[in-house]
Amino acid sequence: MAAEANNAKPTFLSPPQEGKEPIVSLRGITKRFPGVIALDHIDLDIYPGTVHALLGENGAGKSTLVKVLYGIYTPDEGEIIINGRSTRLTSPADAISTGIVMVSQSPQIIDTLTVAENIILGLEKYNHFVPVTKVYKTIREESKRVGIKIEPGIEVWRLSYTQKQLVEILRAILLGAKVLLLDEAITYLPIEEKKRFYKFIRQFADEGGTVVLITHKIYEAMDVADKITVLRRGKVAGHLDRKEATIEKIRALMFGERSAEITYERLPTAQPEPNTVLEVKDLWVMGDFGGYAVQGVSLEVKEGEVLGIAGVAGNGQKELIQAIMRLRPVIKGKIMYNGEDITRKTTYYLRINGVGYIPDLPAKYGVSIENSIIENIAVLPVYSRGIINWDKIRELTLKLIKEFEIKTPSPDTPVKFLSGGNIMKVLVARELTVATNLLVAYNPTRALDEATAIKVRKIIKDKVLKNKVSAIIASEDLDEIFQISDRIAVMNSGKIVGVFPADKAKREEIEHLMVM
Amino acid sequence: MVIVRRVKPLPYWIIPIIALLAGIAISVIILYVLMGASPAAVLSAIVYGFTRPGVVAKTFVALTIVGIALLVSFKGSIWNIGGEGQITFGLMAATWVALFTALPYINPGLAQASMILLAMVAGGIWALLAALPRAYLGLDEVPVTLIMNYIAYYIVDILVRGPWLGKHVYNYIRTDTIPSQVMFPQVPGTTMTWDGLFLLIILLVGVWYLLKNTSIGLRIKILGNNPNLLRSSGISVPLMVIVALTISGFIAGSVGALYLGGDVYRISYPVEVHTANYGYTGILVAWLSMLELIAVPIAAYIVSALYTAGIQYQILVGGHLGQLITAGSAIVDVFIGSILLMYTILITISEYKIKIIVKKR
Ligand SMILES: Nc1ncnc2c1ncn2[C@@H]1O[C@H](COP(=O)(O)OP(=O)(O)O)[C@@H](O)[C@H]1O
Ligand SMILES: [Mg+2]
Repeated sequence: MAAEANNAKPTFLSPPQEGKEPIVSLRGITKRFPGVIALDHIDLDIYPGTVHALLGENGAGKSTLVKVLYGIYTPDEGEIIINGRSTRLTSPADAISTGIVMVSQSPQIIDTLTVAENIILGLEKYNHFVPVTKVYKTIREESKRVGIKIEPGIEVWRLSYTQKQLVEILRAILLGAKVLLLDEAITYLPIEEKKRFYKFIRQFADEGGTVVLITHKIYEAMDVADKITVLRRGKVAGHLDRKEATIEKIRALMFGERSAEITYERLPTAQPEPNTVLEVKDLWVMGDFGGYAVQGVSLEVKEGEVLGIAGVAGNGQKELIQAIMRLRPVIKGKIMYNGEDITRKTTYYLRINGVGYIPDLPAKYGVSIENSIIENIAVLPVYSRGIINWDKIRELTLKLIKEFEIKTPSPDTPVKFLSGGNIMKVLVARELTVATNLLVAYNPTRALDEATAIKVRKIIKDKVLKNKVSAIIASEDLDEIFQISDRIAVMNSGKIVGVFPADKAKREEIEHLMVM
Repeated sequence: MVIVRRVKPLPYWIIPIIALLAGIAISVIILYVLMGASPAAVLSAIVYGFTRPGVVAKTFVALTIVGIALLVSFKGSIWNIGGEGQITFGLMAATWVALFTALPYINPGLAQASMILLAMVAGGIWALLAALPRAYLGLDEVPVTLIMNYIAYYIVDILVRGPWLGKHVYNYIRTDTIPSQVMFPQVPGTTMTWDGLFLLIILLVGVWYLLKNTSIGLRIKILGNNPNLLRSSGISVPLMVIVALTISGFIAGSVGALYLGGDVYRISYPVEVHTANYGYTGILVAWLSMLELIAVPIAAYIVSALYTAGIQYQILVGGHLGQLITAGSAIVDVFIGSILLMYTILITISEYKIKIIVKKR
């Protein structure tokens, strides 16, 4: 595949840093997928000792860019220069041998092995040998330094998501990483732990390492990054220095005219109706590893009301949501839906009676990525019982693609070819359509960029107002909770520790209750 | 020049075709080296196999139906290795209708339909028995369905040696021959029967419709890709496992009736020696089709042509009748083994591609 020479385009270089040569440079990197140009002649210089944030809306090409840097994709055109030498990366092993290591959203480690075994295995896979004692030492010392304790001898399945991600990053460092590529690697972490990770990253850079950080939290990028590059529709929209970066500038580069829509004001609300749609009474639910994750929770959602559940991850929100959806057994207590006891009913019963559900980790629980968009919509029992009316479902799918601005070549495209944000949109679009009565959601906008997340919240809220739908939304994002809720319940250690009307709730008080 | 992982898969039909050609080439070499078989004779047998649709027809019909049956469960990532047992159960049910009811003498057409239908029900039940532990206890269906093949053989063997032992069989251990009323009529000029042909068409259209336009079909496909989505949609995963495997067995069971009514006309003891092994060969057909329904008949034709070629080769080099079946099927095994091996290798290789990158200066 020959690259046509691209003479027309001037090469844009970010101003060189005093006396330093870039550790990685990209020149004219282009990557096409069927129907999209994911990267369109990207030029980028990354300097040693910096944290370089990569921002952009969903589908902008951020993941594709770091995958090119990690040798997972080879570019159709363009050149990668590492330490001044033109380099061809055709596999992660290639990238690792030049000191580039990626950590992504989902941990790659094996559950049945211990932490140390996992790391050693990961090192050996790339012919990188480190004495076992050093592995143990590094895990102990670094995890202590970050403030997230991990025993090297513990089996991975006992670890929390945060701990697993730390293991991934430690593995990268033991692999001798000079350039760490973090593709939303800390997106799913609780706020407190995120802060620790950022400190750790900062330190890594101050000691001469390089970090390429992908996040959709602009404030986090502004806090931690030295340089910011914004991608938009596969092109570089701009390079910014930390000093010149303002939230408005970044948003304008990321979203263009859409940036005007970004606001964290509370969305309009209506007076909820007096009747109760969902009522949970003294609910007790087990967690995955034994013990009660939900301990005597009682709550109520009125018709046309959004109840937000605030809390740090791992305080029983997931189990509460799953129990309400009848995906997890209830040990004690009652769940009432529209006045009917559904404690022993099935998920199916809820799904055909107007309950929409947005689970956490959408690609794992909410969609089937090998199937097409249209099939992912048709699978719900409300749309297909017996013979499927494809014409009707196709019409609905096209409508949702348009309404939610889902970027896809066609409704028949397998979901795996969409970017993370667009996958989330497919899920949200489908669930909002079936939620004629109640929406149950857990982190409904976590994988979305700011503009899209706010748009999704607006759509949810709109639906609640217009159709008098109720919603119970658990989220680790307090901005989200404040923006969308009518009432806020704080969950901590399996219990509801406070309920506030959203217009009167104080952020500090809620944060305090969350970590108390 | 570099080797990289493919982003876009090859068109699905390329791999089976290359596997087929390479597999045949390797078989020719193996047969020459090990048995001294002349490549010319082997190749001419292969040509014979591929150019005699009339001769191949019977095997083709059976393998297409088994291929369709397995495809249904494979789509749901349920690995039904129990086609043999389901066919054997079908054979048993059809034999019962033909020999132990009065139906053949009252209404031959109805009797033939009943043989097929009951064979399907029997195959479905046999698959259901494997599906239950898979669905509710999480027992791997591969060993379970495999073991149930042998259990099915022994049940039928017990029947044939005992209550079903024929009265007009001299010293042979076998059932009586079925009444001529329920011997399925042959399509002139071919080895297949009208019953088989009709059944094939009905099943092909039926399964196409099932997978394309029904919620069961869609759910089976999603079961194969991400059962978590079924769960969160409120659809019972165990139920879908049962449905997929039972439909698979239901379809496979019919081949037992075709085998009885259009081929052997009686069950001989031991049944495991007299089986045509369609249940196992069908796995190859399903794989070669890459789980695309329209490719199943094509794959079945190829495999049945090779099957016929193996037997034809034996005739060409003049073996005597007793040897014929075993040596013929040994050659079939070489063909099938080589193709399957090539297929596996190619599937792995096909994830990569060789690419020439021109660097921009
Ligand atoms: N393997 C792939 N096949 C086809 N299209 C892809 C593939 N990976 C990414 N894309 C497309 O490329 C674009 C950029 O995606 P991605 O890099 O994942 O975006 P981001 O990480 O910025 O959200 C999207 O339009 C996406 O649909
Ligand atoms: Mg991404």
